[in-house]
Amino acid sequence: MRKLAWLLLAVAAAALAQLVIGPAVGPVASVRALFGTADGTTARIVGGLRVPRVLVALAAGACLGLAGAVLQAVLRNPLAAPEVTGVGSGAVLGAVTATVFGAAGAPNVLAAAAVVGGTLGGGVLWLVAARTAAEPVRLAVLGVVVSAVLAGLSLVLLTARPQLAGAVARWLVGSLASRTWEHWHALWPWLIVVMSALALLGPALDLLAVDDDHVRGVGLAVGPWRVAALGAAVLAVATAVSAVGAMSFVGLLAPHAARLLVGAEHRVLLPAAAMSGAAAVAGADALAQAVNSLAGGQRMGVPAGAITAMVGAMVLVAVARRSSRSILRGCG
Amino acid sequence: MNPVEARGISVHYGPRVILSEVDVSVRAGDWLALVGRNGCGKTTLLRVLAGLQRPRAGEVRLGGDDLRRLSRRSVARRLAVLPQAMPAVPGLTVRQLVRQGRYAVRGPLGMLRAGDDEAVRRALAETGVGAHADTPVDRLSGGERQRVRLALALAQDAPVLLLDEPTTYLDVRHQLEVLDLVTRLRAERGLTVVAVLHDLAQAARFADHVLALRDGRVHADGPATEVVDSDLLAEVFGVRGRVWHDSVTGRPTCVYDAVL
Repeated sequence: MRKLAWLLLAVAAAALAQLVIGPAVGPVASVRALFGTADGTTARIVGGLRVPRVLVALAAGACLGLAGAVLQAVLRNPLAAPEVTGVGSGAVLGAVTATVFGAAGAPNVLAAAAVVGGTLGGGVLWLVAARTAAEPVRLAVLGVVVSAVLAGLSLVLLTARPQLAGAVARWLVGSLASRTWEHWHALWPWLIVVMSALALLGPALDLLAVDDDHVRGVGLAVGPWRVAALGAAVLAVATAVSAVGAMSFVGLLAPHAARLLVGAEHRVLLPAAAMSGAAAVAGADALAQAVNSLAGGQRMGVPAGAITAMVGAMVLVAVARRSSRSILRGCG
Repeated sequence: MNPVEARGISVHYGPRVILSEVDVSVRAGDWLALVGRNGCGKTTLLRVLAGLQRPRAGEVRLGGDDLRRLSRRSVARRLAVLPQAMPAVPGLTVRQLVRQGRYAVRGPLGMLRAGDDEAVRRALAETGVGAHADTPVDRLSGGERQRVRLALALAQDAPVLLLDEPTTYLDVRHQLEVLDLVTRLRAERGLTVVAVLHDLAQAARFADHVLALRDGRVHADGPATEVVDSDLLAEVFGVRGRVWHDSVTGRPTCVYDAVL
């Protein structure tokens, strides 16, 4: 429990950094606006743009962390994550399709399209990988291939509406640019649904992470629980993707960070993974904003997804170099 | 009413016959050993008895009830299985794994409550792994892991224990340790035990009854003292050997002399 408190502190620190870093309003003024002692324009910028942006980042990050933890448990694969199961890029394809057909302004349509796309993307991998899901490297390789194809389809769709290039690029990479209260309002109910579902699924995930005979042996039917868990994971990914886009590596690495801190039992692992994901996305956006303000505010700044991709890749390489066993352990 | 009873069990993998018309009956409190060569179907038979595999024909009854009519949970409350291998989840501690056995009793909602109950503490204590309770399972030795898995099975509080080659991969000392532990637990808890064992001498030493399979059929079935002899060695295992009554254990024992 104390470790969860430390994680909460990390989430708060990342959120605060994201809140105070950005164009037009400096750190001191943003903090003042929080306490209601800033002038009208500053208060509007902080209250109308920065706060919802932080909330969207936290919620999307939490969804990605949860989805990664669930996928890793159900597929029994430490390399499983939205971006290597086709679920993430399928959800992106769904959101991009909806955008191209003019639904960019309807968050619920985007979310529904992302759910459909994520399910199809995961389904494609399921067909391609058929029963090899538990071989970490094989699944990762096939997943990367499937994801590349789906991302390619997103780009093909883009040629239909070149004027949407900016919006589509944001989805492919992941960004928090111009996320407002509207997006938060579309996001939080689904976060609640995902969290309640997973609160009930926690013990079943503990069993599913071992193996099917074990699940049956202690008295649980494998099928329905696995489908429920995968459904919750797809919903979580779609919720996150329809709000902020891909955000690579958050879903892969947040559960590992959580596992290192609090261990493998899902009752504690899930909240820890959610918090790690939230801190990662908020922190990445803070960093992106810092880079943007140093670079002097071009029209399209560095998106947070570029930061998670770069930092995430470096972390993964560092972990893999230090010990390829730590991330693949127990999966021989 | 026998706790485990099977009639006419047949299992095929495609054209290959794994089990053909196998009958098994285990009386309450008995220890039945399933023996035979590699690939004779003994593990498949155990899986059928546990409800982990559906036979093509035949039926399994637990305490008189048709296994197919029982829910997973009520099967899990009647019998606990110790599979041949179980992958270790990285970082999962002994206590956390053993607690999973309580699923059978507590159900999905009951598992949401944190903390151990008396059954978990008892299972940890009885198998002597209490000292490792907070150690990740993947850091333990093979012998310790086997005792942890036994604790997991015990946590189910089921009256029947099914063991699939519980001594594989273990050295002699740890093999004896596990079999002694099962013997003691059986006495203390009044368990019924069905175990796949590949060493006939061990089967004869620890089990009351021996069921020998040959090419998916029952070759011999009866009390260990009557069934285990040099003919069985020759016919079931294809080795020439000598079997005699050991006055120390009061059980048959054997040595293997040559391949037939």
